[in-house]
Amino acid sequence: MNGFTIATPAQVLAIDVRLPDLDYAAMAPMLVLFGAACLGVLVDAFAPRQSRHTIQFALSFIALTVALLAVIREARVGSRELTADVALAIDGPTLFLQGTLAVLGIVALLLVGERALEKGGPFVSQAAIPVGSEADRRQAREEGATEVFPLTLFALSGMMLFVAANDLLTMFVALEVFSLPLYLLCALARRRRLVSQEAALKYFLLGAFASAFFIFGMALLYGFAGTVSFGGIHDAALLATTSPLLLFTGLAMVAVGLLFKIAAVPFHVWTPDVYQGAPTSVTAFMAACTKVAAFGGLLRVLYVAFDRARWDIEPVIGTIAILTMLVGAILAVTQTDIKRLLAYSSIANAGYLLVGALAFSKEGLSSAMFYLAAYGFTVIAAFAVITLVRDDDGEATHLSRWAGLGREAPLVAGVFTFLMLAFAGIPLTSGFTSKFAVFGAALGVGEAWPVALVIVGVVTSMILAFPYLRVVVMMWLSEPAEQSPTVAIPGAFTSAALMVGVLATLLLGVFPSPVLDLADRAAEFIR
Amino acid sequence: MTTADVLMLALGAVAVGAAAAVVTTRQIVRAGLWLVVALGSLAGLYLVLSAELVAWVQVLIYVGAVVVLLLFAVMLTRAPIGVSEDLDRSRWPGLLIGGGAGLGLAALLIDAYQWSTVDLADGAGAEEVGAAIFRSWVLPFEVLSVLLLAALVGAIVISRPDVSARVGR
Repeated sequence: MNGFTIATPAQVLAIDVRLPDLDYAAMAPMLVLFGAACLGVLVDAFAPRQSRHTIQFALSFIALTVALLAVIREARVGSRELTADVALAIDGPTLFLQGTLAVLGIVALLLVGERALEKGGPFVSQAAIPVGSEADRRQAREEGATEVFPLTLFALSGMMLFVAANDLLTMFVALEVFSLPLYLLCALARRRRLVSQEAALKYFLLGAFASAFFIFGMALLYGFAGTVSFGGIHDAALLATTSPLLLFTGLAMVAVGLLFKIAAVPFHVWTPDVYQGAPTSVTAFMAACTKVAAFGGLLRVLYVAFDRARWDIEPVIGTIAILTMLVGAILAVTQTDIKRLLAYSSIANAGYLLVGALAFSKEGLSSAMFYLAAYGFTVIAAFAVITLVRDDDGEATHLSRWAGLGREAPLVAGVFTFLMLAFAGIPLTSGFTSKFAVFGAALGVGEAWPVALVIVGVVTSMILAFPYLRVVVMMWLSEPAEQSPTVAIPGAFTSAALMVGVLATLLLGVFPSPVLDLADRAAEFIR
Repeated sequence: MTTADVLMLALGAVAVGAAAAVVTTRQIVRAGLWLVVALGSLAGLYLVLSAELVAWVQVLIYVGAVVVLLLFAVMLTRAPIGVSEDLDRSRWPGLLIGGGAGLGLAALLIDAYQWSTVDLADGAGAEEVGAAIFRSWVLPFEVLSVLLLAALVGAIVISRPDVSARVGR
């Protein structure tokens, strides 16, 4: 019964528990955000009610800026290392994606912090009050929750950890850290409470299901390799004494968990409902940052752990990419709600990103990273415009309400037209350069699968241009409806977010080379 | 056949039988109690594999917390405790999915390990687990506490009593 002996103090001392080497400078971006989020919780508990919003916003903004500076500093040092006993990989893709996350996080934070558009902000303070009850009517008049700021920071720090995670266990913990706050944020919309609660519940249940798949796949991969670190799985795939069936089943289940997060078909069913129901600022945050984080994780899993199984996974994930592009593009055509339209467009964009990822080359990796950054700015700006078009019931998201918006508010309609053209991939926008980079990388490989993917990609881009252009035509050429929505005057925060998004979309389309070069230099994983 | 083999087989049979009883019994409370047996025998399996810490954690968390939560949920809500017809669903989808997953997993593991044997190294005691957590896994372990904090904040956002309304009255 060796298990029940109690260790004497001398024995306890004899156990040598050394901490692994922790490179605090490399972990600084995540640590800053974790710390600021914890501080935010304290602020919510102790600061007076009327100043909470200001303090929380300033705290989050400063924390994200410091995190960004820490990432830039680390990138200048040029560190390439595994730290925390190989749990974290600090390499080019990690730093590029962490920097992208920090910048997109700041822009999304501006939308989350906006209170000029609606009295009390776009959030309510309690998520679970039954819709239509007395308490629900009362909270609709009251100030919204300021917990959204720490929750956003928790999510962002989880995302930063996710793109750096170098083993499946750390990756799973990071996945939960960034998912849980998002489930909650989805449920806090001030208007259309029922849809918002439905979105949160759907996202939570399906997300829990996907997490279960991920962790089961992790168990199988541990059974195969005897380790959960990506380098270990890579080595074990080379030696392969056990049957590779375990490897492939494990990979398939881990991939289900990751493909769910990037909203690839057939794991996309949550996307339209959640994008529509969540508060628009949170949708913008999810569409930009979750995509960056989830794709960063997927890229690392594919490129670091499973590059030896490349020939076996290419047909499967290639088929998923084709389905994703087709379903996203075709269903986008049939949408009548602008938020659902952007949700299906986000699904199709996940397909284009998979085209870049499946090139399995340095160019594929760098083009996918560039795509993530470019798409993030455009999508945040697009959702920022959606927050502005309002009527008495909040945002007017039905497409028919957008008819004739060009006459009412030419500036906002012009900005939205530009963003739609960017989504459609018209030259001189970032949408064109990023699609060009991704398809070019796939063609550069010169094999059957990448070429087939590019053909489907080009065809679906043409299909997808139709719903975007329909919105544009509707705004400029249709007669306004009887009661057309008004365009709210954006507050300083929304204006700033909009400006950054539109400028980035334009600059990445006209002068993409600095960021392309940056992505190119960064595009090398370490093992 | 060593004693460990016999114990493994016996406990495994109990676990499978109890799990089958969980999904076939028509009384929800009995299903919860069968779950105790299933999870308990799983803890026994861990003990036979000399992973005593994992076994006690299994007892504490699954038998202790999860099942108790389940029974509390039944008791505190007005859910019917006896047999209720309207909760019954047709059985074949569950049978198909459960049976398919079970058989598929069995085939997978049999294919992977066949008859290879693994020595019962005593490497899963509290000491080793603790050392592993605080050596290699210290970062994810600490991040888990952040996850718990986020969950706590979330629970408050969802369910706190209406503070401002009480102050206003």
